[in-house]
Amino acid sequence: MKLLQGLRPILESLLAVILGLLAGSILMMFFKYQPAEAYIALFKGSFGTLGDILETLAFAVPIMLTAITFALGVRAGLFNIGAEGQMYLGAIGAVAVAGLLHLPPVLHVLAATLAGMIAGALWSLIPALLKVWRGVHEVISTIMFNWIAYHFSIYLAIYFLAQPGRAERTVPALPTARYPVLMEGSTLTAAIFAALVFCLFIYFYLWGTRSGYELRLVGENPHAARYAGASAKKVIMISFILGGMAAGLAGASQIIGRPPAWSLYATLGNVYGLGFDGIGVALIGRNHPLGGILAAILYGALQHGGRYMEYQAGVDSEMVRAINGIIIVALSIPELWAIIKRRIKR
Amino acid sequence: MSSKPLIEMKSIHKVYPDGTVALRGVDFELYRGEVVGLLGENGAGKTTLMKILSGLLPPTSGEIYYDGRKVHFRNPSDALKLGIGMVHQYFALVPPFTALENILLGQEKAGRLSPPDLKRARERIQALMEETGLTVPLDTPIELLSAGVQQRVEILKVLYRGTEVLILDEPTSYLTPLEVEELFKIMRNLKAQGKAIVFITHKLREVMEISDRIQVLRNGVVTGKLPTSEATFEKLAIMMVGKEVIPQAVRSEAEPGEPILKVKDLYVMSDFGTMAVKGVSFEVRAGEIFGIAGVEGNGQSELVQAITGLRRPLKGEIWIKDHNVTALGPRQLYALGLSHIPEDKSKFGLAMNFDLAENSILSRQWEPQFAGAFGRLNWDNILKFADRLVKSFNVVAPGLRTPVRSLSGGNQQRLLVGRELSKEPSLIVAAHPTRGLDIASTVYIRELLIKMRDAGKAVLLVSADLDEILELSDRIAVMYEGEFLGEGKIGQFAREEIGMMMGGVKLKK
Repeated sequence: MKLLQGLRPILESLLAVILGLLAGSILMMFFKYQPAEAYIALFKGSFGTLGDILETLAFAVPIMLTAITFALGVRAGLFNIGAEGQMYLGAIGAVAVAGLLHLPPVLHVLAATLAGMIAGALWSLIPALLKVWRGVHEVISTIMFNWIAYHFSIYLAIYFLAQPGRAERTVPALPTARYPVLMEGSTLTAAIFAALVFCLFIYFYLWGTRSGYELRLVGENPHAARYAGASAKKVIMISFILGGMAAGLAGASQIIGRPPAWSLYATLGNVYGLGFDGIGVALIGRNHPLGGILAAILYGALQHGGRYMEYQAGVDSEMVRAINGIIIVALSIPELWAIIKRRIKR
Repeated sequence: MSSKPLIEMKSIHKVYPDGTVALRGVDFELYRGEVVGLLGENGAGKTTLMKILSGLLPPTSGEIYYDGRKVHFRNPSDALKLGIGMVHQYFALVPPFTALENILLGQEKAGRLSPPDLKRARERIQALMEETGLTVPLDTPIELLSAGVQQRVEILKVLYRGTEVLILDEPTSYLTPLEVEELFKIMRNLKAQGKAIVFITHKLREVMEISDRIQVLRNGVVTGKLPTSEATFEKLAIMMVGKEVIPQAVRSEAEPGEPILKVKDLYVMSDFGTMAVKGVSFEVRAGEIFGIAGVEGNGQSELVQAITGLRRPLKGEIWIKDHNVTALGPRQLYALGLSHIPEDKSKFGLAMNFDLAENSILSRQWEPQFAGAFGRLNWDNILKFADRLVKSFNVVAPGLRTPVRSLSGGNQQRLLVGRELSKEPSLIVAAHPTRGLDIASTVYIRELLIKMRDAGKAVLLVSADLDEILELSDRIAVMYEGEFLGEGKIGQFAREEIGMMMGGVKLKK
């Protein structure tokens, strides 16, 4: 009984995967593709060789972090969708320290990582303060801040961080500031360890500390939190700041931990969308930091393996994205439903 | 008054899905051109009976006749078609909409896409206002109007639908005395036009002033039916709360020690912006239970919230022992020895989706035994403590890691009470501690409160259950419209005297 209860989320998710795959097949059959062939290509492409597995993981790294941003918000009763903007600023922070400063090898990596996290946290601070002081709803402020971050980051990339003679991107991270690549020819770097450590830290924080307990309490039942003497304002600040750090780290990981660019494209093309993807991944992972890791790997598999669907099974890339989308939506439904139920109850 | 009743309800029974029996065979009749006062305490079944008449609730059994014809309501619009409309205690208006828009809501005589014919509707409403004396500014947003005017809008909303039978549920709760007088004037006016009005209330003076007949309910049974001319406060109070003497729980005489809680001239606002507590002063001493009786909604919740740090008082002082705690928050109060058993456990006292262990430290999560260095939770201690609570307070639960949502109400309350009483408190504030619980849990929790008293704790008990107050308290006060109408030792007041004070009648002693 107890075991069954613990397994329930996993069983639900499995069912959702099956439904998503089925829905994807129907879509493919409608357009006269071979679903079985396509799915085999998808699986082989994402997990077929060691190299593919590493590539799948490389895709998962930033997403598991931006998923944390959203999950921390939901756990505190917030709808923080500002990971995108915070992630841009994290990338900018990392570029500045990794590309412009000269530091000794290990220290340089640490400094650039930290710079990204701090930049992300600072960007999340304004919506947080607006919420605490003036009650500005976080959905409004974070959406607006995503746009401000987008244009601000492009501006900084072009005017202050551009590589001379290369208008399309910023200065690259100096070799001293790069996370080592884990296998020749792969784009997975040791940045994955930084991401995993951060996820574990958040897991420990939420369930192993008083502050994390109070954060979850505010999200679960704000009245009971007041009764328990927990400060909702403090919880909002912490949720935003830790979330901003996660998003900042995600941005930094794409600069100092993802070949071949090692820099930020002036269009933000190599980071664009990672923050929003984290929302779906957080929902699939039930807003749990460890669930988020698994969900991010699944997401990475769809991203990386999807390319194989295209040239092995001949599925158009637009169709691949539609199928991925269907699977993601199907997977998010259980948690999304739980959140909606909670909101209606209030 | 004609001789044939317009409405007749016969042998109405109502059992709620959760098993609560609200009505046990109630007969009710209503004639044209009269005001009937429907009197009773909390949970007597007044509102349930009228919700059945207005089609909001189906009766479990029983019959309703309209003009001698048997009727069956599936929903409120069925009842409205026959001209039966109810104004609820809590208004259902859209704050940013104007009065006019609120009155018309759901009544727009227009196609889905064409604008409603506001001009004609306005003329009709203006005529209605002149006819009834219910004047309201039609173009002002509801949120800018006072409670009294909002209520007029509610009444207009019902009358606009062509109502012959108007049901008013506790309509004077949020009104000033002047507004009450105006409401009564309007009610008399409507009566003169031949409308039938049901006035649900617990206020004795008001029912005596405005009604022609009074029907009293108690525990879902009719305990009295009489013309107002034959009613006295005493008679009504006995019908409302009964006369039987509740034996005090077996225990020794109180030996009160030093005062633990002192409340001085306290004023507290409600969420509706009205003054909920108006200059209340009292003391609770170590080793006694001080019970505050009263019909709910007379300021008890706000008083408790002010004492427990959940609501800032407007004026006055609260002292715990030698500390002025008026401005302190819950956490600091707990450190001074406060235990709070809140009135709504699922709202304040427990987090339903948290497991039993997590709930066992709610409001105690900062204690060093649970949170160590860097705020690290000590799960070993927490689980041990939760296990102890479960065992010593007889909580029946499948496990410590089950969400408390899956526990029965009685077991949830045992967990909460256990958690609060094991704090080593010096002051216990218990609000409706046994409401909605099974008999075994009720008896158990009352025994615990007496044990606490005997152990020298000061206990403040707030309850709408008069039996509970009489059984447990050493001293009592009766709260009515934010004030104490009477205060004294238990045994000093007869039951019907307390009933009269609950109905707002001051004793002449």
